[in-house]
Amino acid sequence: MINLALYKREMKGSIKLLIVFSAIITLYVSIIIHMYDPQMMKMLDGFVEVMPEMMSAVGMKANAANLLGFMVSYLYGFILLVFPMVFSILRGNALIAKYVDKGSMVSLAAAPVKRRTIALTQMEVLVSGILLLVFYSTILELICAESGFPGELDIKEFLILNSGLLCLHLLIGSICFLFSCLFSDTKYSIAFGAGIPAFMYVLQMLANVGQDAEKAKYFTFFTLFDPDGIIVGESSAIVGIFVLLAGAIMLYALGIIIFERKDLHI
Amino acid sequence: MSVIKIENLVRDYGDGKGIFDISFHVNRGEAFGFLGPNGAGKTTTIRHLMGFLKPKSGKCTIDGLDCWSEREKVQARLGYIPGEISFFDDMSGTEFLRFITEYRKIDTQNRMEELLERFELDPKGKIKKMSKGMKQKLGIVAAFMHDPDILILDEPTSGLDPLMQSRFVNLVAEEKEHGKTILMSSHMFEEVERTCDRIGIIRKGKMMAVDSAAALRERHTRSYTVALESEAAAKAFAADFDGICNGEKVTVTTKQSLEEIFMNYYGGEKNDQSGII
Repeated sequence: MINLALYKREMKGSIKLLIVFSAIITLYVSIIIHMYDPQMMKMLDGFVEVMPEMMSAVGMKANAANLLGFMVSYLYGFILLVFPMVFSILRGNALIAKYVDKGSMVSLAAAPVKRRTIALTQMEVLVSGILLLVFYSTILELICAESGFPGELDIKEFLILNSGLLCLHLLIGSICFLFSCLFSDTKYSIAFGAGIPAFMYVLQMLANVGQDAEKAKYFTFFTLFDPDGIIVGESSAIVGIFVLLAGAIMLYALGIIIFERKDLHI
Repeated sequence: MSVIKIENLVRDYGDGKGIFDISFHVNRGEAFGFLGPNGAGKTTTIRHLMGFLKPKSGKCTIDGLDCWSEREKVQARLGYIPGEISFFDDMSGTEFLRFITEYRKIDTQNRMEELLERFELDPKGKIKKMSKGMKQKLGIVAAFMHDPDILILDEPTSGLDPLMQSRFVNLVAEEKEHGKTILMSSHMFEEVERTCDRIGIIRKGKMMAVDSAAALRERHTRSYTVALESEAAAKAFAADFDGICNGEKVTVTTKQSLEEIFMNYYGGEKNDQSGII
């Protein structure tokens, strides 16, 4: 169901982007984790115990005071969301829509290879890239945390958190992939494939500001990935992860079916 | 027995663009020339045969297999030169050919080298930097290297110099001798005249004529019989005008060249039934 020659070619096409984004992530993750100061966090924890109302008013919760909580606030709000998202947008568009738009899809379609196989292979290239980025971030975070603050990190919760992150990125990837399959014109595939995830991210930022804007959280799938909820073990946060995964699988399947049935003017 | 079969194919793009009720077939071992001016619907028809477009109505089959629903089975036996060559720009020609052999899971080393030699193509450079002619040659090699028994060639000689055009015509003739079925679109008369047994002419999305090259020529032959006052005058007249002398009567035949015939179908308003009445 997968064409190895095509997979190899496309993975080669992903390498440059993967290296660039890994480098950026390495830079941020290592710097931010080493900025963590357990002494100060313990002090803050102490304050929370003494005067919880006071501390929550200034936005401090007890769980934010350990290493994982610190990582959630500084890595899982921007860096680990945006860079893999940009990767999905760039590759998602290039894997199908660009080839159809430019006409080089001819070389792939004019061969005894099913369209389903073509689309499935391209999907696996995108998913492989996302997997590599999230796995790399996970290992990097582990190394940085364990080398700087041995034993501080709750490994189990950390792994659940990152599987949530993975599912979120699989969903973002599936949106890019779907529009890449749907539109034969890169103009539209980029407009929707990049526009929708970016818009949703902006809504999420709005919702974070709070007050009236908090309602925006009902209109963005980023709400389904709730790092704060995951690390305190809220069951709704765990359900969110599965919803993201299910959504991703559906959208990938839909993209493949659309590509299988569409007219190619190539 | 017909290998390529198109029945009542319709694809309406609006504004009179598209193809309307196209039907023709290509027999096994035959070379079929698909002639028409730019924008007549040649490529649209071919895209249906390739399984790129789903017929809105009508049907295309190749060897009994439906071109849309069974396209990967059809493709296994097909060689195709696209009308507009657009390969992966980031690859070199060599990388591209190697990719295609791996992608199609075929082994073609000897045949590929023979074709590269025949068309004097050095595929080492990046495709992005290749001239139109070089890309066209690369397309020819990619289409012929797996030795398919059916060839669909969309304006295959565009961008080639006359020497290479003639080498291509020889290649097609050889393939025909080996029993290959060939559909070749073109807007050039000589090319089709030299290679094809039968010719279909398309104009504004409608088939204007489908017939053998010889029959098309014959249909457009006019004979005139002229009576002269004496046999001697008749003889002189026959000699001057290349006619046949029969007593005092001379029969003169005017043959239109294929080119003139095509010009009739192309632009000639007298054949344009869809024109304003």
